[in-house]
Amino acid sequence: MSRSPSPQPGGWSSPGLNTSYDTGGRSSPFANGSTSHNVTWASAQARSAEVKGYNGITPRGQGFFGKHFRRLSTSLPFSYGEKEKLGRGRYQGNKFMQLLNRVGYTLWRLRRSLGVLLFVVLSFIIFYVTPTALHRMYRRSSMFGGGSKYVIILAANQGGGVMEWKGPREWAIERDSVKNKKKYTKKWGYDLEIVDMSTKKRYAHEWRESWEKVDTIRNAMRKYPHAEWFWWLDTNTFIMEPTYSLQQHIFKRLQHITYRDINVYNPLNITHPLTDEYLDPETRSAVGDGKVDSINMLIPQDCGGFNMGSFMVRRSVWTDRLLDIWWDPVGYEQKHMEWEHKEQDAFEYMYQNQPWIRPHVAFIQQRQIMSFPPGACGDQGDDPNIHYQEQDRDFLVNMAGCEWGRDCWAEMYNYRQLSNRLNRNPWEKFKDGISDFFKKSKKDEKKKS
Amino acid sequence: MHFAMPPRKTSRPPPYARNQGSIIAIPPALKNLLRRDKLRLVVVGILGFLGIVWLLGRRGGNSQGVAWTAAHIPKVAIGSGAPVVIVTVIDPKADPSWTQRIKSNREEYAKRHGYLTFFPTDDQYPLRGSPATWSRVPAIRHAMTLYPGSTFFWYLDATALIMTPSLAIHTHLLTPARLESLMITNAPVVPPDSVIKTFSNLKGDRIDFVVTQDKEGLAPSSFVIRNGEWAKYFLDAWFDPIYRSYNFQKAESHALEHIVQWHGTILAKLALVPQNMLNAYASGPASLKDGQFKEGNLVATFPGCDKDARDCAKEQQTYFDVLERTKT
Repeated sequence: MSRSPSPQPGGWSSPGLNTSYDTGGRSSPFANGSTSHNVTWASAQARSAEVKGYNGITPRGQGFFGKHFRRLSTSLPFSYGEKEKLGRGRYQGNKFMQLLNRVGYTLWRLRRSLGVLLFVVLSFIIFYVTPTALHRMYRRSSMFGGGSKYVIILAANQGGGVMEWKGPREWAIERDSVKNKKKYTKKWGYDLEIVDMSTKKRYAHEWRESWEKVDTIRNAMRKYPHAEWFWWLDTNTFIMEPTYSLQQHIFKRLQHITYRDINVYNPLNITHPLTDEYLDPETRSAVGDGKVDSINMLIPQDCGGFNMGSFMVRRSVWTDRLLDIWWDPVGYEQKHMEWEHKEQDAFEYMYQNQPWIRPHVAFIQQRQIMSFPPGACGDQGDDPNIHYQEQDRDFLVNMAGCEWGRDCWAEMYNYRQLSNRLNRNPWEKFKDGISDFFKKSKKDEKKKS
Repeated sequence: MHFAMPPRKTSRPPPYARNQGSIIAIPPALKNLLRRDKLRLVVVGILGFLGIVWLLGRRGGNSQGVAWTAAHIPKVAIGSGAPVVIVTVIDPKADPSWTQRIKSNREEYAKRHGYLTFFPTDDQYPLRGSPATWSRVPAIRHAMTLYPGSTFFWYLDATALIMTPSLAIHTHLLTPARLESLMITNAPVVPPDSVIKTFSNLKGDRIDFVVTQDKEGLAPSSFVIRNGEWAKYFLDAWFDPIYRSYNFQKAESHALEHIVQWHGTILAKLALVPQNMLNAYASGPASLKDGQFKEGNLVATFPGCDKDARDCAKEQQTYFDVLERTKT
């Protein structure tokens, strides 16, 4: 578009005297009384186009509502036309309509506070439902949820590698187990570290035969420098209640669900507390200093003693020292044939023989962190301290020892199904309830006939 | 392409064109929401929402079982007691007059500098059949239990004599600055060719264990340990029954070399100092460079004088004489 002075031959006689009657019936605000000398219709139109953002004139009421608003509004029950028919502007419909009217009026009056409420509700929906899941970020942040303080170390491929090849069942177990932990860590904003524990010759001069828990935990500590607690989990575990967060389920209740004095439950008959007079009072105390923040390690005990299938360590200098001293060539050389549970036996030994360890270990009630299926620890499978109880909604199942004569995959499958059933949402429960009802009535009919 | 002149800009900016300054284009509906009078409402809404989330997050923590509570263990601040405790393990079967002279040698030194002494016997700890020389390890732990306020615990073997009582060990050797200037860095822990070398970037105030090296290896006949959690860890690890039963050739000193070389958390707290600073040998396999006792060294050690057919009292006689002479 040209902004140059008028191309019309002859031009204007004088500024401000030209009228706009020759410009299509629409007066331009720039044409009359403008101080500018160079205003042409074209330039004025261009400028007004810039202001309006579109070209030309848009007729009003071209949309659907524009065209039909009146018709629509007159057909509504609240329309004036009808009101006038019913006389004196008062609407005397049935009681229900009156009530509705009043409710509507009240809502309109309270629109401010209601708006806040609506806003809060909407925020909730966005927070929990949207796929971006703001609540994950919230739970993960160290300020609010603190989820980034926890790392789950999941051992995969245990005993695999050169010793035996994995079959389809083993793959399936691993897949389920990993999926379960992935979902859990994602939900609560924790970190998941899956480590390959297959037996390999990783150290140049020796077969350490999977005494590698220690190195693995150390690597994880290096990888997640801001995490505080590291939770070791074996492959054959399943988190039954993903709605429990570690913070709520364990770390806020430490004083209730742990015991410092091993005499509370002592299957190994470890002498405790130590009585040697050369030891300091804290080491000789049955419960250490008895403060929550002196706990650097949380381990459960099953019927056979310490269980390292599911335990937690906290980042601290104490833990550094423990991880450093845990594997020692002298101990390994002398005991590796005898200690068939490797780190677990080594730790039991150290707990008994190195007094500095005791004040910083707390034992956690087994079912809070690791329930056993009926096959492990006794044949009945009904020990309320050891075995999984459905009605108590135990947190995690550790199918320890299922590779010795039990069916790992069947156990894993059953517990997965059970967990899914226990954690249905209300809608699923409703649907299942209906289908159960019909199935039941069908059965009853069959029985009758 | 290259233009000689920049393209001409219009001299009349479009009057109501949209503000292109902001990077994020805020839709008008949201802009309306953020207007001042509505802003208060929005802030209240957000705060209310966070408050509800916080309240929901706080529920739970239901208590089962009995909660345990803190034990009442008196805590004594390290550093509130005497700066140094000298620990010497006494063999009750040794000649009592010699034992008495050894004890008074330490006691006089301690009195002069405000230190404490501790003389346990080597049969009072549960060694479970391992050599009596192991008793030095629980003895230090015992001293720490008895004097929890002291900072340094100096184990001095019964075969050693303090020859220069005027040197106060906690200022002469144990200040961070002195340690930093004295410690031998990047040297093999066991001479001459151990692969494991002392760290070269340690700070003096992080040192918890000061020891010397003689010709054959670490010499645990005179060493200093700083009181604290690390000391408990170190002593308990050293005293592990597995090492005591392992039949190390030189019992506790080989066990010490073993744990120092295999465990980084111990090596990181260790400072090797020249042998004549802490443990000069009057006889025996002294370090070639600076191990031999000379006049003015703090300590003279007679390694092994209490073993076999040797007689410490006789070997140390001339040194006792020197001490007597300087005293008067």
